[in-house]
Amino acid sequence: MEGAFSYAPAIAAFPLVAFVVALVFGKWMPKKGAIAGIAATGASLVFSLWMLAAVASGETYHETLYEWTAGEAASEIGADTIGFSFGILIDPLAALMLVIVSLVAFLVHVFSLGYMNAEGETGLPRYYAGLGLFTFSMLSFVYADNLLMAFMFFELVGLCSFLLIGFWFRTRSAPSAAKKAFLVTRFGDYFFLLGVVAIAATFGTLQFAGDESFVAAAEAAIDDGGQLFGFDAETWVTITGLLVLGGVIGKSAQFPLHTWLPDAMEGPTTVSALIHAATMVAAGVYLVARMFGYYALSPTTLAIIAFIGGFTALFAATMGVVKDDVKQVLAYSTISQYGYMMLGLGVGGYVAGVFHLMNHAFFKALLFLGAGAVIVLMHHEQNMWKMGGLKDKAPVTYYTFLAGALALAGIIPFSGFWSKDEILYDALIVGLEEPLIMAAYAMGLLAVFFTGFYTFRMVFLTFHGEPRSEAAEDPHPVGWSIKLPLIVLGILAVVAGIANLAPVAKLANVDITFLEHWLDGEYGGIDEVTYSAYSELLAYETGVISSEQVTVLIAAGLSLLLAFSGAGLAWKLYSDPEPTAHKERLGSAGTVVEDNYYQDEYQVWLAEGVTLPLARVADRFDQTVIDGTVNGVSTASLFGSSWVKRIQTGIVTNYAALLIAGFIALLLGLGVYGGWF
Amino acid sequence: MIGVEYYVLLSMAVFCIGLVGVLTRRNALTFLMSVELMLNAANINLIAFAFYHGNLTGQVFALFTMALAAAEVAVGLGIILVLYRNFRDVDVTVPTTMRW
Repeated sequence: MEGAFSYAPAIAAFPLVAFVVALVFGKWMPKKGAIAGIAATGASLVFSLWMLAAVASGETYHETLYEWTAGEAASEIGADTIGFSFGILIDPLAALMLVIVSLVAFLVHVFSLGYMNAEGETGLPRYYAGLGLFTFSMLSFVYADNLLMAFMFFELVGLCSFLLIGFWFRTRSAPSAAKKAFLVTRFGDYFFLLGVVAIAATFGTLQFAGDESFVAAAEAAIDDGGQLFGFDAETWVTITGLLVLGGVIGKSAQFPLHTWLPDAMEGPTTVSALIHAATMVAAGVYLVARMFGYYALSPTTLAIIAFIGGFTALFAATMGVVKDDVKQVLAYSTISQYGYMMLGLGVGGYVAGVFHLMNHAFFKALLFLGAGAVIVLMHHEQNMWKMGGLKDKAPVTYYTFLAGALALAGIIPFSGFWSKDEILYDALIVGLEEPLIMAAYAMGLLAVFFTGFYTFRMVFLTFHGEPRSEAAEDPHPVGWSIKLPLIVLGILAVVAGIANLAPVAKLANVDITFLEHWLDGEYGGIDEVTYSAYSELLAYETGVISSEQVTVLIAAGLSLLLAFSGAGLAWKLYSDPEPTAHKERLGSAGTVVEDNYYQDEYQVWLAEGVTLPLARVADRFDQTVIDGTVNGVSTASLFGSSWVKRIQTGIVTNYAALLIAGFIALLLGLGVYGGWF
Repeated sequence: MIGVEYYVLLSMAVFCIGLVGVLTRRNALTFLMSVELMLNAANINLIAFAFYHGNLTGQVFALFTMALAAAEVAVGLGIILVLYRNFRDVDVTVPTTMRW
């Protein structure tokens, strides 16, 4: 494994090359750039696996590759230099995420062959270039070794999502959705930028790991008990942590900045798969995991993360229940699932959060690609009420989609169950001591019911019953390039849970929590960024109900019971050959949920009713006071000069006279002050 | 041996004559001649002090001044010619249009 890491930059470089190739030569290439993208992401995948193997053999990599600038700076804790650099940090977390991202990107590229190329889309080079740049940005973000570099690629990820969501820019809705995604996430990123600046100004470093990291500096500052910018060290860490969290909330679509994500369904389904499973949305949660040591220093921030996560999980799940568009259901499930990850990280369940991030990447990519396959089958119909009966006509799509749905709903033994259960278990044991976390846990638990319901409502409406439209009776066939990614992801969605069978480990007392050991750096890791290092920092008390085994059983039993009852309710309501809508039974509550709790409306009102008048007042101030001052100065000088210019008569004798008068005056002046007289 | 102060007085007198000419005369040719007088006043000064100090620098400068005066006259005469062509006159108070 010696020297493996010197090839690390290539992981991100391959997709970048594919981006350039697709953009410049894509028009003349046989598959319009798809081949370049597949080759590049395939190579990235191979290299990522190599990195994974290298980390497993006990090595890690942390190297500054390029320093933009370094200089003297006065930071709050007394460090007198600061450097801004590009560097690579490959530890167990980054290596795992590299594999996930490159795998999903690779499969999405392959799927695109069937989804985009076969449909005779125009602008394919632009599409593949966008995918390449997206993959490049995300991979670079994943192994960024400092916060500034992470921020830059975080922004680039946002730009790529803008480009790809607005891929069909000739429609009305896609450009508007793209703009919304860009602006809403940018609103969060604004706080992130402030956080980056605050951390740099406080600690004089932006490194994630190592002795020089801001995490270590923050820990030392808290131990010193000193003041930072007039606050307690811990309060200041909380403030900066929350500022960075702004970016996370925007990107990971947490309440209240989740509104962009459902609209982002305007993009091609493959792009949705990439955004939701591995890149854009995952970036936010990954950032929390990346700098988990920093958040672990501040119990307040963690509690806020947990509460936002739990609330978002429930909030989004209820909205997913009433949607008719298959992609919309998946969009709300994504918001909800990222809520779970935030809940997991917020209660200190670092392993659980990362585990769910991994499992979700597989089963959500699967579900989105499955939905893409369904859309191809249905001749581009997305309304679930027009589907039905696809079960027998497209068995590969059905069984893989079902595997993803079972994982999403958290049915044992599919992957989603293990990670979601671990998150809920971690939340429960902390919640037994902290009432606020208990509330977050309760919301997360309730969301399990809704998840089971909307997932199986989707499955029943799409695949079961009788065909409800001509397209459903005669589906368009799908090719190998669509089936292959589905099968790969389907297998992963079923088996990925094996990575960390924590409940089994606790009950049977066997050592099978591989992911926990992996993230703990037992195979290879960097000391300060391991699970056990984080656990030492955490200030949470944990409790159990009578004993650990009983608590595990209760947590798992409750979530399974709710998942089954949700799925059962969906089965009861929608498994008819000719299912009917039950929305009117919800009454006025249904209307509120149908309208997404008026989130868009109130945000538009905030913009139009509050920000716009404020901007008008500021504009008036600018027009009158500021411009008035500037114009006044120029008017005065114009008026003065119109008098002074009369000195110029145009008669050369007068000029000579003035010259001489001036000279004499100068002589006299010199004479008087120089003491000649 | 005449004292240097007499040369300075001569130079001052010539300079003032030139200066008065520039300030009071309206004819451009007289104007030009007055400027020549002022230049020569400066030359007298330079040569007088060069002689007084016993080095040649002042005399060399006087030579430069003469060359400069020749060039100046050439340009000045050109301007006067154009002046006459445009205004049918060589009165310097007539062309006042080249201002703001």
